[in-house]
Amino acid sequence: MVIKQFIALVMLALFVVQTRTVTQVRNPAPSNQTQVTFTDVTKKSGITWTHNNAQSAERHLPETVGAGCAFIDYDNDGWMDIFLVNSGSSDFFTPTTPLRNALYRNNHDGTFTDVTEKVGLAGGSFGMGVAVADYDGDGFQDLYVTSYGRNTLFKNTGKGTFVDVTDKAGVAAPGWSTCAVWFDYDNDGKLDLFVSSFVYYDKSLNVLCADEQNRRYYCIPRHYKPRPSHLFRNNGNGTFTDVSAEMGFAGVAGKSFGAVATDINNDGWMDLFVANDTMPNFLFVNQAGKKFEESGLAAGVAFSQAGRPRSGMGVDAADYDGDGWQDLFVANIDYEFFSLYHNDKDITFTDEPREIAAATQLLSGWGLRFFDYDNDGDPDLMLVNGHPDDFVEMHNARVKYKEPLVLFINNGGTFKNVSRDSGDVFARDFAGRGMATGDFDNDGDLDVLVSNNGEAPLLLRNEGGNRNNWLGLELVATKSNPAAAGALIRWEAGGVKRSRLKTAGGSYLSAHDPREVLGLGTASKVDVLEIRWPRGHVDRFTNLTPNRYMKIVEGSSK
Amino acid sequence: MFRLLIVAAVFVSLACCLSASAQTTGGLITRLENAAKLIRDGKLAEAEKDLAAILRTNANQPDALNLLGAIRAQQRRYGDAETLFSSAVRANSRLVSARVNLAQLYLIQHKTQNAIAELNQGLQVEPENEQVFDQLQSLLFAENRFDEFIKLVEQRRDTHSLTVPLLLSLGDAYLQKKDRDKAEKSFQFVLEQQADDADAILGLAQVALLKGDAASAESHFNRAKKSVADSAITLQRFALVAWDLGRYEEANLALIEAVKLKPDDPSLFVALGTTWFKKPDPVEAEHAFRRALELQSDNSEAQMYLGYTLFLQGKYPEARELLTKSLVKQPAVPQTYHYLGLIAQEYGDDQSAIQFLQKTLELQPAYVDAHVALGRSYLNLKNYPLAQRELELAVKLNPDDSQAHYQLAVLYARLKDPLRAQEQMGIVERLKEAAKQTKKPAPAIAP
Repeated sequence: MVIKQFIALVMLALFVVQTRTVTQVRNPAPSNQTQVTFTDVTKKSGITWTHNNAQSAERHLPETVGAGCAFIDYDNDGWMDIFLVNSGSSDFFTPTTPLRNALYRNNHDGTFTDVTEKVGLAGGSFGMGVAVADYDGDGFQDLYVTSYGRNTLFKNTGKGTFVDVTDKAGVAAPGWSTCAVWFDYDNDGKLDLFVSSFVYYDKSLNVLCADEQNRRYYCIPRHYKPRPSHLFRNNGNGTFTDVSAEMGFAGVAGKSFGAVATDINNDGWMDLFVANDTMPNFLFVNQAGKKFEESGLAAGVAFSQAGRPRSGMGVDAADYDGDGWQDLFVANIDYEFFSLYHNDKDITFTDEPREIAAATQLLSGWGLRFFDYDNDGDPDLMLVNGHPDDFVEMHNARVKYKEPLVLFINNGGTFKNVSRDSGDVFARDFAGRGMATGDFDNDGDLDVLVSNNGEAPLLLRNEGGNRNNWLGLELVATKSNPAAAGALIRWEAGGVKRSRLKTAGGSYLSAHDPREVLGLGTASKVDVLEIRWPRGHVDRFTNLTPNRYMKIVEGSSK
Repeated sequence: MFRLLIVAAVFVSLACCLSASAQTTGGLITRLENAAKLIRDGKLAEAEKDLAAILRTNANQPDALNLLGAIRAQQRRYGDAETLFSSAVRANSRLVSARVNLAQLYLIQHKTQNAIAELNQGLQVEPENEQVFDQLQSLLFAENRFDEFIKLVEQRRDTHSLTVPLLLSLGDAYLQKKDRDKAEKSFQFVLEQQADDADAILGLAQVALLKGDAASAESHFNRAKKSVADSAITLQRFALVAWDLGRYEEANLALIEAVKLKPDDPSLFVALGTTWFKKPDPVEAEHAFRRALELQSDNSEAQMYLGYTLFLQGKYPEARELLTKSLVKQPAVPQTYHYLGLIAQEYGDDQSAIQFLQKTLELQPAYVDAHVALGRSYLNLKNYPLAQRELELAVKLNPDDSQAHYQLAVLYARLKDPLRAQEQMGIVERLKEAAKQTKKPAPAIAP
């Protein structure tokens, strides 16, 4: 009887609990199933550089959110090199030994050589993220490094070196910048630059957040004031104009991390989805290049379903269910659930994380990407995780500071956690932050680069993704923007029709291999390949041989 | 369990036969005694043979019918057993043992109302029959028939002194009826007999809580702490009071101890699970609910609670399965339909969600969360007039429901009414701030 009373009483209490909670994240037990795996080849590759997070007793917030990484073919030899961002001097940090970023040149044999000093990319700012693109259309990939402090635009001279052209270009955007995205918002064929701004911060603004033992921990960003992000229009002469105000960004302050440019309403204009930390996410809908309209609330992507802002960090966009519309993903912090926003085709979205919810509830996600790691033609999903508070385990038994990577395979529009079957690396924990995908060994399947906070990076080689057939595309624009951001790729192979929009940005503080690898499954040729370039021209090719990279120049089809 | 029950019934039957059937001859009594012994020894065939012989000469011999019914019950031929026990009662309406056996049979068949009726009849025939009284009072209590329970026990009090357990149950029954004074008197009466009885002290704490006197409740609770550790039932009561006092940690610890003392009681694990949930530790809650289901796979409360827990962890398929199962025994719990509606929403199945949520509201029209969820489903389906109706109703029912205001903000934003959207978001912000003021700051940080 007592129990009956007890249950009747506690029922009410149970229903008012709002927080979603879940079990400790442990990937399911491995099976003997043969599938694509990822192998940690960092050591073997010769990458020895380690990120220094500058962690101090004062726990300055910039220490825990960096840094990013990139695949970049800086010397146009057709092989992906690797760039890694480091911390540096700031108002709260003076390194005892000089810190530097790292550029590793690909030796074409699975190893890399550190060429940082030689190419002039050591940097020195308190680096956060990196965005890669040929902003000036000279055929060489340039680098934009965001920082806590001054951002830097490194122009690739084409002679194996980079020069700092930030001041001339006018893109320093001082303050605290996080992610940057190269895309062409006005379809004029030139790459413009969006730069996410995080909070107003300097040494004097650091808030004291401490536990009962007086240990300082990293404060929740709620304590800091939001800042508006920047949009720079490319003038086509090596300079940029800050158009943040006229395009509708200056009046919208956020605490912005990940940003991805994509076309959410299929109108041919690239929109921007920006994750905010402890604030509503932004969905900037492009009004034909004239202005952006922030529509996050109406679209249903700003808040959780309960109307709470979450701690958005990494983002990406892809048409995961093949319905022809771009869906969105946001990685949030533990206990918040990550968001998988399904596009309802009318600038509204429904958050349907389904199987991803249970697998990620205790995780805090940063770098991530939808990519077809098994070349079956549909986008799978990898997540890089790690809690920002290195003391988290002292007050939450279920959450860890270092967390595992998680890999989901796409099965006809639903995702299944295959981490435990995908390599030993998924059983390890990291203070993960950035993530970039790229085919560094040019074998036709996408490898993964992960940057960790205060730790060495990870280079993961894809083993077996190329068991399926594939076709690699290097899109060379002549009239459209040099990154071909916004190009729509349609292909038909083995009777299956697929499409992919070439998005820009995404993940967290990182830049991917710009080439597109199309998964063909078992099809032995590509029957039809069609590229609709951002400026409208359509190139069409038929009967293409698979398992090779091919250069496609805008306007080259007959 | 089943076997013990039937053997006990046979025993009752025999004991009653000897005293109740005055019309039986000495030889017949001996034959009946012998048959009863054979039944007790498991020699059913021999007993049946003897009883058949008796019934050949007197087809309506009530004791023989009763004993043969016991044999059929042991053989799980419940239909036959019921016919035989009923025939025995018809043949001799004062044969209490047959009524008790019939009551046991009904209990096995989950026909509780029939069992109570038989026991009531039996008690009318033999008001002093302790066994019938005990069975009846415990059954009435277990079935939440508190008015009848109280009447029965109070009548008993006129002629007998009540035992401590019975007084505690009486106090509990009065608590259920919210009769604070009589509950208090019952518990105090126990304390007059046993000054440190923890159950009685905790009962007084419950009475104090019912009176809104938290200070007295705390005082009784603290007093009870000293002598609470040796009984699972007392620990349960302790946990209940602790819960009401907001001392969730102590409720949890008490139930941890209780399940150690009584590790095969599924209800205890269900209660423990709810305390883990409150901490919140859904992992432990899940373990406790799962354990309850291991012990009793059709425990609908465990199914329901485990379903809720799994839903909140994003484990939707299993949550859906369990919640659906729990509806078999508990088809009228609005929360279950609500959660099933939310799960359907997670799968983008708003049509099903609407059906579940409408069912929720049929059962509990003022269920605010269900109105909000229903509004959200209509919003997803772009049925804005219905969404607005549900969300505005939710706000009317609870003006401080931030989720309802948020969904209204989304609705107005979609209807291109930014001012009203902003106004709703302003309310959401205000409510959030107000909630923060009342909450203790969490130790964890999260950018």
